[in-house]
Amino acid sequence: MDGARGFGEEPVGRQPASGTSNPMIRVHRLSKLYAGGVTALHEVDLAVERGEFVFLTGPSGAGKTTLLRILLRQEVPSSGQVLVNGRNVAALPAAKVPELRRTIGVVFQDFKLISRKTVLDNVAYVLNVAGLSRSEQRRRAYLALKGVGLHHRAAAYPAVLSGGEQQRVAIARAVVNEPDLLLADEPTGNLDPDLAVEIMRLFREINARGTTVVVATHDRDLIQRMQRRTIVLERGAVVNAARATA
Amino acid sequence: MMPGKGLHRLAYFVSDAWDEWRHSPGVNLLAVGTLVSTLFLAGLVALVLDNVGRHLDEERGNVQVHVYLRDSVDPLAREGLRLELARTPGVAAVETVDRDEALRRYRAWAERSAALVAEIGANPLPASLDVTLVSGPGAERVGDAIVAGLVGRAEVEDARFDRDWLARVEALLSVARLGGGALAVLVFAAVVFVMASVLRLAVHARREEIEIMLLVGATPSFVRGPFLVAGLVQGIVAGGVALFGVEAARRGIAAWLGAEPLALVGLATARPLPAGAAALVSAVGVLVSLSAAFFAVRRSV
Repeated sequence: MDGARGFGEEPVGRQPASGTSNPMIRVHRLSKLYAGGVTALHEVDLAVERGEFVFLTGPSGAGKTTLLRILLRQEVPSSGQVLVNGRNVAALPAAKVPELRRTIGVVFQDFKLISRKTVLDNVAYVLNVAGLSRSEQRRRAYLALKGVGLHHRAAAYPAVLSGGEQQRVAIARAVVNEPDLLLADEPTGNLDPDLAVEIMRLFREINARGTTVVVATHDRDLIQRMQRRTIVLERGAVVNAARATA
Repeated sequence: MMPGKGLHRLAYFVSDAWDEWRHSPGVNLLAVGTLVSTLFLAGLVALVLDNVGRHLDEERGNVQVHVYLRDSVDPLAREGLRLELARTPGVAAVETVDRDEALRRYRAWAERSAALVAEIGANPLPASLDVTLVSGPGAERVGDAIVAGLVGRAEVEDARFDRDWLARVEALLSVARLGGGALAVLVFAAVVFVMASVLRLAVHARREEIEIMLLVGATPSFVRGPFLVAGLVQGIVAGGVALFGVEAARRGIAAWLGAEPLALVGLATARPLPAGAAALVSAVGVLVSLSAAFFAVRRSV
């Protein structure tokens, strides 16, 4: 995706390359056990193709968040293999983790914006980390904000924004670096239904531009409305990974 | 890393550190205040030790043997003894002080005690030879030898080499310097601990922000950078403020004492802290602040 272009402007959809041997995410016999013997994930096998839009769903405690945390290397699996864009995340040295994360956009339920930075600086921070010049950071951040319709709030601080606006800023931050993969953990959990639909529209546009999108949610209405493949987790295991019938 | 990229990073660290200062001045002021107080006290101790040390150095260069002559000694014999002493190895100079000069010096010394001076009738003071020794480690041996050699001489009533007080003060100063050094190490460790605790509060307050930064791909060094720059700047500022405070306190004491300086206080604050000691205080401030910032941020990143 070209970060210089607002992603709401020219959606150019890409079909998932299903069946290819080089998926964006490949998880094989993944298990995660916490201290005290709590099993968060057990022998999980799944694949997400490049350019695909996938929902990850299941009841609370099913392991959705744990799986996303492992994909982002916030946690290390107890056993099994996790390949993200060809990288073995489980075996990745600590020094390489920031590099991995720069290729993944991430959106959280609680937005996770830096309160003392302006909206523009929040979005630009990702580009700052990547070493872009200040002017380029600001230019691209502005365009990403334009893509989510918040360029007019660039100088505002997160505290004065509504929940929906904060989540749109978080989405702009997630995509400003043109990531290969976008992970969203309950991105609509704090939003009302209308705003949830608006956020999903943005995800669909991002996906249409070629970014693989994985959204963890337990909002069944939203999943039904979007008609995308859904992976269902229950008690740490995949119980259904069927492709949606549009 | 490319130099341009390095500069870009540094500029970001500085601007982010400043931004953080503006948003949470309380914790940062507490950290700087702690450091300023400690450096101020360290600067005062350094000032006193330096002044007393310098005074002792001057005294050491003015070590004298006083040879008091009998009233019956004629000028020829006195001159003979003066020349004899002047030829002695380790002697820098010999000055003849006749009875009138001795009385004049006494009056000048005791001028504030008018009653004491008024009581003096006939001049009771003997003439003397003031023998100044070459300063250095051998001065005490030379002084002792001169005194021993004059015992029993017909011209000499008494010979005194009062070096005991000097030795005592030097010993005291050595202990103070040694103790000061040990104390400095302890204070350094304590201040690093206190500063690190204060800064850890600042880091703790920003733990969510740090987590976000790491999640979007910032390297630990990129996250630590602004904290370390803030630590560096805080150290420099605290050092400057503390040194300014030490000099202001010294001048304040001098102004308060006016024309009649109390001997010890005046002696201890006579000269400003020398550049070397001031640089040392500043360097310690920077080192403490940087170390504290490093230890504080290392736990979270």
